[in-house]
Order: sequence, then C-alpha cells, then structure tokens
Amino acid sequence: MLEIKDLHKRFGDTVALDGVSLSAEAGEVVGFVGANGAGKTTTMRIAMGVLAADSGQIVYDGAPLGVEQRRRFGYMPSERGLYPKMKTGEQVAYFGELHGMTKAEAKRSAAELLEQLSLTERIGDFVQDLSLGNQQRVQLAVSLVHDPEVLILDEPFSGLDPIAVDVMGTALRDRAAAGAPVIFSSHQLDLIERLCDSVVIIGNGRIIASGSVEELKAKEVKQLRISVETDEDLTARFSGTVTRDGDDYLIEDGDDQEALRIAAAAGRVTRFAYDQPTIAEIFREAVTR
Amino acid sequence: MTQNEPSKMRGLMLVAGREIRVRGLSKSNVISLVVTVVIVGVLAALPSLIGGDDSDTKIGLSGDTAPAMQAQLDAMGGFDITLFDTADEAERAVEDETVEAAVADGSLYSLDGIGNEDETKIDAAWQTASVQTNLSNAGLSDQQIGEALTVQPLEFVTLESEGGVSSTLDYFTGLIISIIMFMMLMTPVQYIAMGVVEEKSSRIVEILLTSLKPWQLLGGKVIGLGVISLVNLVAMVAVGLGVSAATGMLSDLPPGTAGAAVSSIGWWLIAFALFGTLAGGVGSLVSRQEESGSVLTPLIMSLTLSYLGAIFLLNAPTSTFAEVLSIVPPFSGIAMPTRMAITEVPAWQIGLSALLLALAAAGALALGSQLYKRSVLYTGSRMKISEALRRAA
Repeated sequence: MLEIKDLHKRFGDTVALDGVSLSAEAGEVVGFVGANGAGKTTTMRIAMGVLAADSGQIVYDGAPLGVEQRRRFGYMPSERGLYPKMKTGEQVAYFGELHGMTKAEAKRSAAELLEQLSLTERIGDFVQDLSLGNQQRVQLAVSLVHDPEVLILDEPFSGLDPIAVDVMGTALRDRAAAGAPVIFSSHQLDLIERLCDSVVIIGNGRIIASGSVEELKAKEVKQLRISVETDEDLTARFSGTVTRDGDDYLIEDGDDQEALRIAAAAGRVTRFAYDQPTIAEIFREAVTR
Repeated sequence: MTQNEPSKMRGLMLVAGREIRVRGLSKSNVISLVVTVVIVGVLAALPSLIGGDDSDTKIGLSGDTAPAMQAQLDAMGGFDITLFDTADEAERAVEDETVEAAVADGSLYSLDGIGNEDETKIDAAWQTASVQTNLSNAGLSDQQIGEALTVQPLEFVTLESEGGVSSTLDYFTGLIISIIMFMMLMTPVQYIAMGVVEEKSSRIVEILLTSLKPWQLLGGKVIGLGVISLVNLVAMVAVGLGVSAATGMLSDLPPGTAGAAVSSIGWWLIAFALFGTLAGGVGSLVSRQEESGSVLTPLIMSLTLSYLGAIFLLNAPTSTFAEVLSIVPPFSGIAMPTRMAITEVPAWQIGLSALLLALAAAGALALGSQLYKRSVLYTGSRMKISEALRRAA
C-alpha cells in the first residue's frame, strides 16, 4: 500500500500543495483528477522523489519510502522524455538495467513489451525516427520494463491513439490485478470512470473529494428521474422540487414511493431511477464548490 | 549501507557505459578517431619522410684508393660497397644499375647524379683516402699516417638565448602536445554540456532521477566521455611515439619527449576532471540547447586562453611568464605538459603545478555537482549560478 501523507509544498509565494493526502491499496487503481495547476504533477513528482516536499511523508507498506524501493516503481512524467539518438530496444533495456535488472533480463523484458506494443520492427531504429504516437508507446515501455511494484503515471493517456489507449488501460489493469497499487492522473474522465476503483479530486493544492467511484456517486445530490406515458402534466402533483428534462420529471427531496404511485396511476412508467452523476459531473461539482 | 554500494557503482557505470556506447561507438566518433590517428601518424613520420629513405646507397669502387675508401665509407655508414678490379667493370656496373655510383680513376660515375648527402660523404672519403694513399706512397708508416689524420670532430655547443628559444623539433613537439591537449579537452567538455542539456530539455532526466542520484548521472557522463577521450588520446600518443620510433626519429627528439608525451595523459586526466564537471554543472543551468553556448563561454574562454598561453610559452619556455602559466590552474593543464616537452622543468614546479591543478579539479568537482544537483530539474529560463547555489538541493 502506498500512502501519501499531508504533503506541503511552496514555490516562492505560491502554495502548490496544502496538506495533500491520498493512498492506493495493493491492486487498487486510483484516478487523480484536478484542473491544470491544481497540484497533481507536484504530488506525483514528490512521490517519485524527483522533488522534495516542504513537509509530509511518502509511506510504502507501512514504512517511509526508500530509494531502493522507489527504483522498483514505474513512473511516467507528464513531460515525456527519451534519448532521441538511442535505439528503441537499447533504450528500453537501459532503463530496465537502471531499475536493477540484469542485462539479459532487461533485454528480454524490453523485447516482450515492445512486441506487445507492436514495435518489434522498430527495435533497432532511433527513437527520433519514430512517430509521436510510437514514441509514446516507447515511453510506456520504459515505465513498465522493470515489472514495477507500483505505478505512478502522470497523464499516461494524453496523446495516445485509441489502440494505444486500450493497450495502456489493459496494462494498468493487469498491473493492478497482479497486486500493484496504481495511481494515474488524467483529464479524460470517462477513462477514469472506466478504469479506476477510486478517485481523488484535487483543487488548489487540497484534496476536495475522494473515495471509491460508487461512494462518490452516492454522495452526490441525487435526482429521481421518472418517465411516464401520459399527456397529463404531473409537475404540480409530485412533492419536492420538480423540474422537467424533456419529457422526464426530475425530483429532488421528494417522497419516491409516493411519486411512483402518482406516476403509475397516470400512465405506463417507462423509467423510474436515481440519476447517477458521471465522474465529470462530480468533478465539476467539486471544483466549483 | 554496504548493500547499496554495488548498486551505486552500477548506476554510475551504467550511465558511463551508455555514453561510451552511444557516443564513443557512434560512426562519427570512430571516423574522427581514425582520421586523427592517421594525421598524427603522418605528422610523426613527416621529418623522416622529408629526410629521404634510409636504405644504403650501393656503390662500386676500384683502383688504388679503393681499400682506403672502403674503410672510410664503412666508418661513415649508409653504403653498400662492391669492389671491382677495373674501372671499366665499375662503369659497366653503373650502367647495369647493379650499383648506383662508382668511384674509379678519380671519377665518380653515376647515371643521373647522386644525393647531396652521399656526394658529400663520398667526396670526404675520397679526399681522406687520397691523402692516405699519397702519404703511404711518400714512405710514411700506417701508424704515422693514422696519427697525422686523427682529428677530433667539432663539438657542437648550442647556447640558449634569453628565454631559452628551443630548436625547431622541440617547438614542433610542444606545439603538437598543446594542440592535442586543447582538442582533447574542448571536445568532451562540449559533449558533456550538450548531453546534460539534452537530458534536461527532453525531460528524460526526470525519469533517470527516479532510479539514479544526480552525482551518478553527472559522474557517469563525465567518466564515459573521459574514457572515450582517453582512448583517443592514448591512441594518438601511441601512434605518434610508435611511428617516431619506427622511423628512428625518437632518438633525435630532445630527451624526455617521450616521457612528456606519456605524462601529458596524466595532466589531461586532471584537467579533464576540472573542465568536465564544471561543464556538466553549468550545462544544467539552461533548459535549451541554444542557451548552452552562453553558459559555456567562460569555460571555453579559459580553455582557449590556456592554449594560446601554451603557444606563447613555446617561444620562451624558461621565462617567468612560462613558469607562472604552467603552475597556475586551469592554464597549467595545457601549459605544463607543453613546457615539459620543450625544456627541462624543475621537479618542484611540476609537483606544485600538479597539486594545484588537482585541488582546482576537486573544487570544480564540488561546485559542478552542486550546481548540477540543484538546477537539473529546474526548467524554464536560464538560472544564475548564485541562484542555483542558494536553492535547497
């Protein structure tokens, strides 16, 4: 389990992080959401040790995170970087070795990953000769080559084509299924909703909402949506705050059982359900609060 | 702690290994090494090439003076002598080209003349042999003739003028050493700065620093480029000395030249540690390749000044200027091996110079790695050195 505890960080007069805490259990995929400049990248950089926090702690499996453990983490920074004048296969293997693999292990792992990413043919090409999309795939291979115990990925999906998005999504779920905590940030909220077990929303350096996807959805103000086949206007007859969304009735703070009886008496009820807010709506709601 | 030691060294070596693979084994580096080695080889062979070939001149002799001339020419060396019974036979041998020239009946036969040097020697031998023969005919004993002809050769004494102007050959050797030192410092220093900026501008440094410490990254880079340059330097010195030895030039060089050439590798190592780590440090201050020139300027200036100073020193190797320049770092890195090549330098000056240069290198190592550590992850506009040093690591 990876725990980020009460991080504070200032850049000059700007407060970047103001008590950020979040955690990822073994096998849990955590989506990290926030507007630009909210503090996602700073948090992840501190977790990866490339930036020092003013205060706060990173705890891994109950103990403060050390350098040796961190070498077994997989990291993808928001600003991608590869050696342009190094061959693809050689480069991925080099990073494997830096993370402590033997030369042979690193070479084999690099070859396997590049095959999964359909880059086997480009293994001997210089990275600078690859298309941007393929460079992104190499970047992914670099972060996965050493079979990391923990994944921290900053915007891993940005700039990926749909196929690569699928490959990346599968890779994240696979790592989680193998027991790795996974934290990634993204602006693509549909992906967060699809891939994550829990979501952390950050705004202006503070965590403003967090929890499992279900919890977050349940916590949000719910609207009862009723569709009923009738010519009659039932607005006045339902209790609570009633609004119309097309032909549907949206009811807040009303008695749902009473509303069902009224609707059923008026005509055939084709829909009777609480609206689930999307993560996007929760996010908008959270950051504007 | 001990558990981490091997992996610390491994990280350093992995970084160095990558530099050697990617830069050292690159086509451009291999080609430039081959070209440089060929140039050094040709330069080293040049004096003997100009001096002409060393093979013995085949010469025929006949007549009364023949035995005496043979003795003279053998003593001089450089001749392959055949004796003929008659002048006609000797003349025919010249026509057949079995010999290049023949001396018979007071004439020198040849097809199209012989070299100046050979001509002078043969003429001298002829004079001596004729005198010997004449004296013998006049009734002097061999011993009397020998005593009469024994002359001490002139002893050549070169007086050093003010400042100790050296011979052309010394000058040439010193010049080559200073040029090679300058090149071998300038190139890797620029590569180190470029490499640091490349990693910084491509942001790869952020991934690297999750598994490496800044000192491993900078140290590995300096070591890697150092090994590449060292291989180049050793190849040049070996080829230069090897060719000189093969062409017999080495013995004509001033004593200590070979030693100076070999010790220049040592001087290079210290000077490289100084300039290399500083280059890495200042390289990390900028985020874009275009800006690296501006931060490197002070380094390149001091390297160029060291080189120009060494060239100036060649004309006055024993002057006060030369002594100061070859002791004060960083100029001593190029100036001292250059000075050592052309004149004898007191041991205390060599020791002091090496000590000061090593101290400066240690200081540069500390400064360069601090700069690097504090600014390598900072992106944006160029960072001031003072600002970098104020920042928390």
